[in-house]
Amino acid sequence: MKPADKKAYDKDYAQAKKTGKPFFPYAIYKDTIVAGLTVVAIIILAITIRVEVGEPVNPATTDFIPRPEWYFYFAFELLKIFANQNALTPVIMATFMVPNIMIILLVVWPFIDRGPERRIWKRPFALGLTVIVTGMLCYLTWMGANSPAGVAKGSLPVSGLDEQATKGMAVYMANGCGSCHMVAGVGAPGPGPDLTNHGSTGWDQAKLIAWFKAPKAPMPSYASLPPQDLQDLAVFVGGLGTKYK
Amino acid sequence: MTTKDIGPKNPVQKGAEATIDYVDDRSGIKTGTRWFLFRNIPAGTSWFQTLGFTAMVVFGMQAITGIILAMYYVPDTKGGAYQSIEYITNEVTWGWMVRGMHKWGASVMIIVVFLHMARVFIWGAYKYPRELTWVTGSVLLLLTMFMGLTGYLLVWDQKAYWATVVAVNIFASAPILGPYIGDILRAGPEFGPATLSRFYSIHMLVIPGAIATFIGLHLYFIVRLGISEPPWSKRRLRIERDEEDARRAAAREKAKALPGSVNYPASWPVEAKEGAR
Ligand code: HEM
Repeated sequence: MKPADKKAYDKDYAQAKKTGKPFFPYAIYKDTIVAGLTVVAIIILAITIRVEVGEPVNPATTDFIPRPEWYFYFAFELLKIFANQNALTPVIMATFMVPNIMIILLVVWPFIDRGPERRIWKRPFALGLTVIVTGMLCYLTWMGANSPAGVAKGSLPVSGLDEQATKGMAVYMANGCGSCHMVAGVGAPGPGPDLTNHGSTGWDQAKLIAWFKAPKAPMPSYASLPPQDLQDLAVFVGGLGTKYK
Repeated sequence: MTTKDIGPKNPVQKGAEATIDYVDDRSGIKTGTRWFLFRNIPAGTSWFQTLGFTAMVVFGMQAITGIILAMYYVPDTKGGAYQSIEYITNEVTWGWMVRGMHKWGASVMIIVVFLHMARVFIWGAYKYPRELTWVTGSVLLLLTMFMGLTGYLLVWDQKAYWATVVAVNIFASAPILGPYIGDILRAGPEFGPATLSRFYSIHMLVIPGAIATFIGLHLYFIVRLGISEPPWSKRRLRIERDEEDARRAAAREKAKALPGSVNYPASWPVEAKEGAR
């Protein structure tokens, strides 16, 4: 805004105030009605949809579904979009770049958009941004709400397993790996990459075990598993798509 | 005092008035309140401008229900936290209701704050002179989301625990500062009892304090600058119509002044007339 625009705005706003109405009661009564209805809505929700007590924490069995509150679903879905860790969609996009760019844009927005126009139909860029950002947030939240909640119990459709690999698969199932990874079409499509062909990446057992103990975010560490379990798991994952199909 | 003020006063009223006057002489509270309540706002102030106040009320409700929950909650990872949540939900009179209101209140607050922000954005209400109101508001949005993140862990159930492990890992993976942030959030390299205590104090002291502070700043700017007028209030639309009429009249005069030019009807758009010349 140029100084002249600022002056014009100040003058216009002073005029609006002079010909205005007192805050009490004209704004207060509207405020009270909307806030009152909102509080009533919260009480009705609390009574009709009871909040449950979940399963107690057990850090030893990592059989979990890492689902956040619904208002973080969009971030969770972002992790899935950038799950494949390749050059085009590195996971750092979802964990760092996109969120921080959004936050910075949010905070400094008034210093970017400084034009004097306030009517939305004369601000096509702002209007487009409203529609796109709101649309994206709703879409990602909806995707998050509809992503598979549970993990298939029992076994995976993989054949050719030897004794150790069978044990490894049991470790895989017991620790909820399938709530972030998919193998042969079973499991969640993210945030972790599809492991169906992980054997063909050439990761050896040592590399796999090191990864289980100290993985990159967002995957949690499995350092607390017994060494034997980690080894079985490494055999299983290391042969996926090569020995076990 | 007005002329209606005759006859002896009842001593209670007399005492109350004297007390108020005593406090007002020293604090200016009466003058301040009167100024606050009866200051003018633009006549077009609309229903959409109630969302900020609503966010504030929901925050107040979260504070009250949160204080009640804190009377029973125990931040203990060896079963105490989980048991206290069970106790609140199943044993305490109205406990389920207070917990339900706190939990649903969190979701509603996020929605209300988002809608409030959308209103401000669509109206261009963040433009001069309200840029800093927006900045304090965007900090409030982030703080509200952090409230949800830290509160989720406190129930100490499987879902919340693992979701929070993943979330903290994400913070810890940030370049340079990430590992430090991770250690600060976890209170060490591992998730454990110290982590829960830390989340508890962040959730019930640090962030609410920050939110209260930023609501104060936000309100200071709002009251000082005045609430913005809807960009399409009746008053604005009238001004725009008058401006348009004046522009037309001027163009008509100009067209008349040019010899040999056609006299366009007044209702013709200015652009068409100018284009024809
Ligand atoms: C806890 C969250 C928040 C609370 C309690 C709050 C409270 C309020 C209140 C009471 C008003 C007065 C007018 C109205 O109600 O619309 C207001 C105005 C405003 N808020 Fe917020 N707000 C919050 C979050 C935000 C956010 C997230 C933003 C934007 C990023 C924001 C930006 C603004 C601006 C720019 C105004 C001035 C608008 C005008 O004068 O028309 N606020 N806020």
